[in-house]
Amino acid sequence: MSQLQARFFTEDQRYVVDDVPFSIPAASEVQDLSNVINKLLEAKHASHSRVEFDFLVKGQFLRTQLAPHMETEGISTFDTIMHDDWISSVEADSEWILTGSYDKTARIWSLEGKAVTTVAGHSDVVKDVAWVKRDGLTSLLLTASLVTRPAVIAHLRRTAAVLIHCCRGHTGSVDAISTDPTGSKFCSGSWDKMLKIWYHKMALKLTPDGIVSSVLWCDSEEVCSASWDHTIRLWDVEAGVMKTTLSGSKVFNCISYSPLCRRLASASTDRHIRLWDPRTTDGTLVLLSLTSHTGWVTAVKWAPSHEHQLISGSLDNLVKLWDTRSCKAPLYDLAAHEDKVFCVEWTDSGLMLSGGADNKLYTYRYSGARTDAGA
Amino acid sequence: MDSDHRLSDLNRRHGAEGGARNKPFLDFRRVTSEPGGFPRGSMEASRGNVQKAEQRAGMKKTEKTNKKRSKQDDEEEEEDQLFNLNNKSLEEDDEDLSDSEESVYSGLQDSGSDSDEEEEEEAEGGSDDEDEQDQNEKSTVKKSKKERADEEKEVKKEDEYNHDTSDEEDIRNTVGNIPMEWYKDFPHVGYDLDGKKIFKPIRNKDELDDFLEKMENPDYWRTVHDKKTASDIVLSDEQIELVNRLQKGQFGDVNFNEYEPTVEFFSNDVMIHPVTNRPADKRSFIPSLIEKEKVSKLVHAIKMGWIKPRRVQDDSRGRFYDLWANEDSSILAKHKMHLPAPKIRLPGHEESYNPPPEFMFTDEEKALWEQQDPSDRKLPFIPKKYPSLRQVPAFSRFIQERFERCLDLYLCPRQRKMRVNVNPEDLIPKLPKPKDLQPFPTTQALVYRGHSGLVRSISVSPSGQWLVSGSDDGSVRLWEVCSSRCLKTVSVGGAVKSVAWNPNPSLCLVAVTVDSAVLILSPALADKQVISSSERLLSAQQEEGPSEGSQPVVWTETEGEELNQGIRLKIQHPKAVHQVTWHSKGDYLASVMPDHSSHLQVFIHQLSRRRSQNPFRRNKGLVQAVSFHPIRPYFFVATQRSVRIYNLVKQEMTKKLQANSKWISSIAVHSGGDHVICGSYDCRLSWFDLDLSTKPYKMLRHHKKAVRSVAYHRGYPLFASASDDGSVIVCHGTVYNDLLQNPLIVPVKVLRGHAITHDLGVLDVTFHPTQPWVFSSGADATIRLFT
Repeated sequence: MSQLQARFFTEDQRYVVDDVPFSIPAASEVQDLSNVINKLLEAKHASHSRVEFDFLVKGQFLRTQLAPHMETEGISTFDTIMHDDWISSVEADSEWILTGSYDKTARIWSLEGKAVTTVAGHSDVVKDVAWVKRDGLTSLLLTASLVTRPAVIAHLRRTAAVLIHCCRGHTGSVDAISTDPTGSKFCSGSWDKMLKIWYHKMALKLTPDGIVSSVLWCDSEEVCSASWDHTIRLWDVEAGVMKTTLSGSKVFNCISYSPLCRRLASASTDRHIRLWDPRTTDGTLVLLSLTSHTGWVTAVKWAPSHEHQLISGSLDNLVKLWDTRSCKAPLYDLAAHEDKVFCVEWTDSGLMLSGGADNKLYTYRYSGARTDAGA
Repeated sequence: MDSDHRLSDLNRRHGAEGGARNKPFLDFRRVTSEPGGFPRGSMEASRGNVQKAEQRAGMKKTEKTNKKRSKQDDEEEEEDQLFNLNNKSLEEDDEDLSDSEESVYSGLQDSGSDSDEEEEEEAEGGSDDEDEQDQNEKSTVKKSKKERADEEKEVKKEDEYNHDTSDEEDIRNTVGNIPMEWYKDFPHVGYDLDGKKIFKPIRNKDELDDFLEKMENPDYWRTVHDKKTASDIVLSDEQIELVNRLQKGQFGDVNFNEYEPTVEFFSNDVMIHPVTNRPADKRSFIPSLIEKEKVSKLVHAIKMGWIKPRRVQDDSRGRFYDLWANEDSSILAKHKMHLPAPKIRLPGHEESYNPPPEFMFTDEEKALWEQQDPSDRKLPFIPKKYPSLRQVPAFSRFIQERFERCLDLYLCPRQRKMRVNVNPEDLIPKLPKPKDLQPFPTTQALVYRGHSGLVRSISVSPSGQWLVSGSDDGSVRLWEVCSSRCLKTVSVGGAVKSVAWNPNPSLCLVAVTVDSAVLILSPALADKQVISSSERLLSAQQEEGPSEGSQPVVWTETEGEELNQGIRLKIQHPKAVHQVTWHSKGDYLASVMPDHSSHLQVFIHQLSRRRSQNPFRRNKGLVQAVSFHPIRPYFFVATQRSVRIYNLVKQEMTKKLQANSKWISSIAVHSGGDHVICGSYDCRLSWFDLDLSTKPYKMLRHHKKAVRSVAYHRGYPLFASASDDGSVIVCHGTVYNDLLQNPLIVPVKVLRGHAITHDLGVLDVTFHPTQPWVFSSGADATIRLFT
């Protein structure tokens, strides 16, 4: 947390520096930043004479250290973890972050951003990842990929990942994968319009009539799937039947369920995040729609410890933090990404993660979340 | 005519009555002038006196009426008569004068009449008779009187009055009204009533005698010769005076006051005594039989048509037509649309000659009035004050005002016309609002960047997960649709004109045209089973054609680098291939080589047998695009101006669609197969309903520049057209199963995003197979997804 990514802009053509992010110590002040700029300018043109600069951070003059300023202004601080390729998915637990990437690997990172290990084994893009079980350094993880090898269970021991099993059965690319809370079952949704529940080397096939874009377990007996046929379906795993259908008007990209408020949040291929009550039988009720994004909403995630907050990622390069009590505008725009955001995650420890097409995994810490938790 | 008759009759009767009335009028005068006298019948007691008075009055009356009548008739001759009188003998007595003379000498007659009355009184005593009898008696009395006079004087009278209509003749000489010259040679001049000759006086006067008498007789000047009695009459002084008075135009009676104050008999004052109290005659109550007879004759004549009523002058024709003549409130009530004539505004106080001061203009108002346009003025005049009505001048604006009123009447509407207010927008057929036709793509969602040259062609995999694009930079790229990730780039070594993803979901193949070759690419973006099935299809052995050497198309399997990239087959054509398209089953594909001079323009390849055939023997024009029918074995060939539909089984042309455009650029077939859209380089898009006609059902001219590509959505009722103006226009096109209902075509959205580079905008457009999304590829080397 000692470094911050910063870009510098100016309208004065004489002092334009390259539009690239710089890592800057969080404790730096105006003087330090000015020094940095001057050095950059000197490197550019030798004739540059020293100029004192002032800095605006999101329209606010910087007067103190950068980190306290960010905190007082409520701007979340974040870290970046560089990938080699687009990040398609992220899942984190209390210690490690598991990311799936378009470079055909899944990677495990510590929360501090250190690479733990790389899970190779896919011959194609890793579309989704999920933790199954983790004790200490030994863990079980699950990856789903495009096309060729739909689901892979890898066993991770210390720093080496070993492929345990390849679950074949899907005939299309697997886009979504999710383990149940007990860790004994998992379900997968695929482009072959199938939703499969896997447990103990057996698979239960469910056919939602549409390409499954996102699956999750509401509890140990209930699976929720969002699909391209504009529906969210709730399945009873025991009976293997569909319980409820919630119909929307657009393709769903992602759904998230909060056990605290018992709401489903859906991200769809329009600009809206919609909240659903999965217990309604008619299934058409949109409780709320959160509109601020300007592109498709690709990812949404409820806060694990807060019943009103959620974050969303969108193709408009923004990650937004929402509070359902203020549905008109998001609490914060987290404008860190330079390209499309594909996945967001919110860990139990209050860390927010987002990954996207700029190959970077950003971690944010939102101080408000914890203080508001009791409210 | 009969009315005239009646009138004249009535006049006559009235005249008679009037005459009768005259009598009491004079009566009254006499009565009133004599104090103590009473009108007749008013009092029985004084009857005798009254009678006398009446009789006297009656006498008077006849004389007066005679006088009057003669006056009326002979006004002009009066002077002659007077001259004649001058010549008459002076011996003539007053009473010998004729009636007319009597009237003339009314002043003299008074004494005479008095004596008459006395005589009458003596003769009749207190007889109680009616007026008429009185008159008769009177006439007889007159006669006898005249006889006496004749006897005394025996004077003959000349006929002085040629036009005398009176029946009372001078009876001293009975020869009547003849020229007295006839008796010139006789000793007598006539006969008296007894038939005895009236002899001329025995005296022969010659000129000398006459002269001597003139000289000697002092009364000569007043001597008048009466021819009829052949006697000389010496006029008395009184008579002379009377003649003089009459010559002066004065009344004969000296005592007569012609300026007596008039008595207003017929005034509005109700008199105690009525003018006449004579009861109306009985005959006035009885319808006249004579008149009745006359009238009935007239009626009969009219009935028989012998008499025609006089034609009434018809004023209505030609002169003017009173537009407002039959203004009737009942008509107004009946016709509500009727408008009454506009009423003139009633004059107000300001129009008075002496308006109240508040109506007078102040100076400012006057200045304003003068500045204003006449049509804007509140009043057309300035109120003016005059001390009296007498000083008000003539109304100067009279003509103008009349003219304006006439103009008002002429120009005002007579009838309220219900004009049908047609709003031009109402005539446009009601199209549903685009909002109601959702879903359709509205916003740009993703941009697929990676190509370095203009992207000529795109195609989506049947699942909708992948997108393939071919570009002029010599590469074919495979994209993940929902993340815009380029998964694979295959460089083919030449500009890619067309790419086509195999529509069969159990196969994963892409056909790519590079120059004169069609490459079959296996992108390996599918399940193993799918990949293996497509591999199986590709590895089928080529059938040995009958004439190996003459085959224009050569199938070759690729090796080495190309194989590693996924290119499996190469179908070498004799010329540059512009378009490639798959049959829906995925086994056949058609390629187009536009060429004016050759019939080898279209080839249909069968993948499983590696066989190519040219279905057309003759060149029907430059082929622009081809397409397979999605269900039936039909084949659409679009040449420059028309689209030909061939039945592949019967091998014949079934239909030829005339596109009404100059140069067709692209063609798309509806998934139902009954509708075709054609884009053309002259900015048009024509929709053909194959069941309807060979002419376009609709022409859409929404694009500003050449339409490059058209596409139908497989599921949604959408079609899109891409144009060089950089826009993609999405239209809603519902097709009904009902043959009677025409397709509903509504343009719903213009999608912009592509930058125009080198005058090229959007080059290809295609729909997502399952979602209402549209992809477009442009000359700016990008592919865009609109959702």
